[in-house]
Amino acid sequence: MKGKVIRKSDFLIVGIAVIAALCLLYFQRAGDGHRIARVTVNSLLVEEIDLDTQTEKTVIKPDTEYDVVIVAENGEIYFESSSCRDKICVKTGHLSKKGDTAVCLPAKTVVSISGGEVDALTY
Amino acid sequence: MGINAPRSKKLLIALLVAVLAAAGIFLILTQKEYSLDFMAMDTYDSVKVSGLEAKAAAEKAREITENLDVNVLSRHSEKSLIYALNRDGKAKIPTEYSQYFNTMTGAFYESGGAFDFTLGKISDLWGIGTDNERVPEEDEIKAALDKAGADKAVFDGGTFTVPEGLSVDMGAAGKGIALDEIRKAYGSMLVRRAVVSLGGSILLYGKGDFTVGIQTPGGSGYMAVLNLKQCCVSTSGSYERYFEKDGVRYHHILDPETGYPADSGLVSVTVVSDSGTLSDILSTACFVLGLENGKALCEKFGCEAVFIDIENTVHVTDGIKDKLEITDDTYRIEESR
Repeated sequence: MKGKVIRKSDFLIVGIAVIAALCLLYFQRAGDGHRIARVTVNSLLVEEIDLDTQTEKTVIKPDTEYDVVIVAENGEIYFESSSCRDKICVKTGHLSKKGDTAVCLPAKTVVSISGGEVDALTY
Repeated sequence: MGINAPRSKKLLIALLVAVLAAAGIFLILTQKEYSLDFMAMDTYDSVKVSGLEAKAAAEKAREITENLDVNVLSRHSEKSLIYALNRDGKAKIPTEYSQYFNTMTGAFYESGGAFDFTLGKISDLWGIGTDNERVPEEDEIKAALDKAGADKAVFDGGTFTVPEGLSVDMGAAGKGIALDEIRKAYGSMLVRRAVVSLGGSILLYGKGDFTVGIQTPGGSGYMAVLNLKQCCVSTSGSYERYFEKDGVRYHHILDPETGYPADSGLVSVTVVSDSGTLSDILSTACFVLGLENGKALCEKFGCEAVFIDIENTVHVTDGIKDKLEITDDTYRIEESR
């Protein structure tokens, strides 16, 4: 009889442990499937946008030496304009896939979508 | 048994829970991941590390790259070793860096001069990627070429000596050197896995498999994927930095023989090597040499390479043939001969 009581609580402990482990896994992996766009200036995160849940147009004007305008809308993010010389950032176009990156070197501004199917891109 | 069984079971379950918890905590700690972006060596750099010291390791990569750039390699930074070398015609090379200068000198001779680290003055004439980009006059190029040439530089293992008017430029080796220094540092840190990209030159560090996309020349995304174990990967492409004048495209990879942008029928060369310095140097040298001579050079150094020519044909060295996967069907692999 004593054994039975212990067995019940044992199951409870194991059950809680399993649920806790699953929760942990869930929170670690949450949003894994989503395309998260990150805007950094000088390595510091300025803005983070979930492109899969975002509904309104977002305009970001980071604080840099240059006049940079970044727009996120319709599941895409892009450099709309920049006062830099080459405008490579603007020419990069619209980013929508995981791993896509656009960089404005003069303004030290990076827009990237986290994830991606490859570990790195060589160019 | 009626009394003992539950007790031993209880113990077993408690033990199981403890082991699971310990394993879980260990897993979470070692899987800890940290990413960092920064700008150094005139490019966009990114680091992604996992392991107990993920954050410290990512910051270490940044510190090493910035320090090498500003204090050692940049010919524009007044604090740098190379700046002093170009100004004084002489500089003492710290022993920790001497191997890199040996590699560079060796690569110059082995490549028949296709890799030349003394083209600073000629790069300045073209000014590609700066406000002063232009097509120089022929006699300007000739005059600058006469003063250049790594055969005029002497490295005795301790001191580097160059004649007056020669400008050492580490542009084709610097990122590779930084990758090698970062890998050295990671050897004594708790790093499980790391991917370091310095302007597209990559260090893959740690156990397991890695995938590296090769940039579509002149396009976005990648046209092929390399499946690799830990190593370094570097690419030189004519689509990267260039300007156009009167309908002609002038890119940034200069042929040391002519002083003009290299014209060898290739648009991109990717080199895979255990050494970052070699992969960086050889990608440039192969781009200048062209397919056949480039392949021979890689073989000499025990490196593998992927060449893309102007007709979108992809040529691969034997060692990585089965590791390359073309993902864009406008490119085709050359059948082996």
